[in-house]
Amino acid sequence: MALLDIKNLHANVAGNKILKGINLTINPGEVHAIMGPNGSGKSTLSNVLAGNDVYEKTQGEILFDGKNLDELAAHERARSGLFLAFQYPVEIPGISNMYFLKAAVNAIREYRGEEQLDAMDFIDLIEEKKTVMQIRDDLLERAVNSGFSGGEKKRNEIFQMAMLEPKLGILDETDSGLDIDALRIVSDGVNALRSPDRSFLVITHYQRLLDYIVPDFVHVMVDGKIVKSGGKELALELENDGYASWVDEEGV
Amino acid sequence: MEDLQQLRDKAAADFEQRGFPTTKEELWRFIDVSALAKQEFSNDWQSTEIEFQPLGKYSLVFENGKLSTEKSNLDGLPEGVKVGSIMDQADARLGTLADSQSAFVAANTAYFSDGAFIEVAEGVQLDSPIHLIYLADAEGSAFHLRNLVSAGKGSKLTLIEQYIGEAEKVYWTNAVTEMFVSDHAAVDHYKIQQESNAAFHFQTMETRLGADARFSNHAITTGAVLGRNDIRGKLIGAGGEAICNGLYLLKGKQVFDTHMFMDHAVEKCNSHELYKGILDEKSKAIFCGRILVQQDAQQTDAVQSNRNLLLSRGAKIHSLPQLEIYADDVKCTHGATVGELDEAALYYLETRGIDPVRGKAMLTFAFANEVLDEMKCSAVKTYVEKLVQEWLEKVSG
Repeated sequence: MALLDIKNLHANVAGNKILKGINLTINPGEVHAIMGPNGSGKSTLSNVLAGNDVYEKTQGEILFDGKNLDELAAHERARSGLFLAFQYPVEIPGISNMYFLKAAVNAIREYRGEEQLDAMDFIDLIEEKKTVMQIRDDLLERAVNSGFSGGEKKRNEIFQMAMLEPKLGILDETDSGLDIDALRIVSDGVNALRSPDRSFLVITHYQRLLDYIVPDFVHVMVDGKIVKSGGKELALELENDGYASWVDEEGV
Repeated sequence: MEDLQQLRDKAAADFEQRGFPTTKEELWRFIDVSALAKQEFSNDWQSTEIEFQPLGKYSLVFENGKLSTEKSNLDGLPEGVKVGSIMDQADARLGTLADSQSAFVAANTAYFSDGAFIEVAEGVQLDSPIHLIYLADAEGSAFHLRNLVSAGKGSKLTLIEQYIGEAEKVYWTNAVTEMFVSDHAAVDHYKIQQESNAAFHFQTMETRLGADARFSNHAITTGAVLGRNDIRGKLIGAGGEAICNGLYLLKGKQVFDTHMFMDHAVEKCNSHELYKGILDEKSKAIFCGRILVQQDAQQTDAVQSNRNLLLSRGAKIHSLPQLEIYADDVKCTHGATVGELDEAALYYLETRGIDPVRGKAMLTFAFANEVLDEMKCSAVKTYVEKLVQEWLEKVSG
């Protein structure tokens, strides 16, 4: 069974039609990349999947792990194993990263019918996961994303993904604003999480990220539709030719 | 005691003549006390079974307005520290700070029947907080409580005033605290007001700070249907510092008014005020913070901020920061905000599996936490954290 099955998805933001019939199937263990020019609807897709109610789904069907996503609120989607790494992680003053992570981990464990982690077990889990992402202890004590540098925010997103162990990780332009060292750390973190029963949807504007996180499939998104799909070589093609030819063909 | 009797007679006459304030008076514009004025109060004493938890080694417990030596604990009080009932003291300073600011102060001076007297001698540094606990469950009673606190030169004191009442009981607490902080002394003062949700609570606090004195006040409010803190301080020695913070958590039809007045009379003093409020249902808060910088008070540093979180459309806040500056070399800022919970932050928490009810509680606590973070006394901080958490659970649950 497919992990994610999107059929004819249409969605609006503030009354504007952004997604105009997306079809996409992701099987367990697969890494899919979606590339496209700015404004093509890539971030809209990730937010519709995560359950942001600013985005209005107007048509189509999304099945995630056999469940109809329409019936799940954002927190229920997360508990079911869907994780969105934000393009712009939100700062939350007054809540420590540690406290936030513990609340998230235990909410998800409760849903899975697993026991709540006590303070000791939680620290063990943190210790296990923090090394790959090079998360320093002071980042754990500080308020969630508050005053973090761009790179720290993105590393913190992947660190959270490692802690929550989702079935599907959606990376929304995780590479934006990263220098080459940070890009490598983030990619190493994602690659360490790759497994036969975990899938990824990598949304990016640039081919560069896909040198590090090598996808099984690449899709080109233009004006709210997927206009071409192929293997990883499609990303290189785009790198050389740009999006211009696609945009022209679509007549926009 | 002739002088004191004269003072009290004069105050009684003053109160009789003035009566309760009305909303026509500038300082009482947003708080209508007619519901209190209409009540009849008696003074039949009764004991109480209300539970309490001392937050320091030393405690004075007042049961329905009367000191209970049985419930209090002053064992091991260091030499040079006097703690007891105000009724056993003839201190000439009584009434010198709290005079006739309002009808409430006049009524207190006229009718007070108990309260705490605390005197810390020069250079004495207390190892543990003194906790004043006022328990109330006597329906229809009025408690006029008078406290006098004196911290001698270079002394150090942590003082907690806590008011606990039984839910639904109607009574009136009318407290006045006069506080003298001498040169180089440091006083951390906490006020936790958890009166009955049907009670009336009014307190006026008057503080004088000497040179290089440090004073902090943290006022936490969850109780009373109608309440007001008048927090007034005067900096009379160079290098003094006053920190006045507060957090009010209101719901139902609670009305709570904070009137702050900080008077910078001399140079090189600091005053910092951070007040935050969380308002639910049809509650109403008033914050009026007035900072006066007199002509001689050069190099004053004064910062005032009042921030409010409204959890319901029916809640209301009147925020009135006022700066009155007569010196030219000063740094003064003030600001007030009213807002709702950050939707983007809530969505972010939800995408991590945290349900919206829990998420809202987390964000609301985070908002309050900034005030708690400023508390140095860990026993109080832990207690207040729990109080805030429990309040939030009731609001969201």
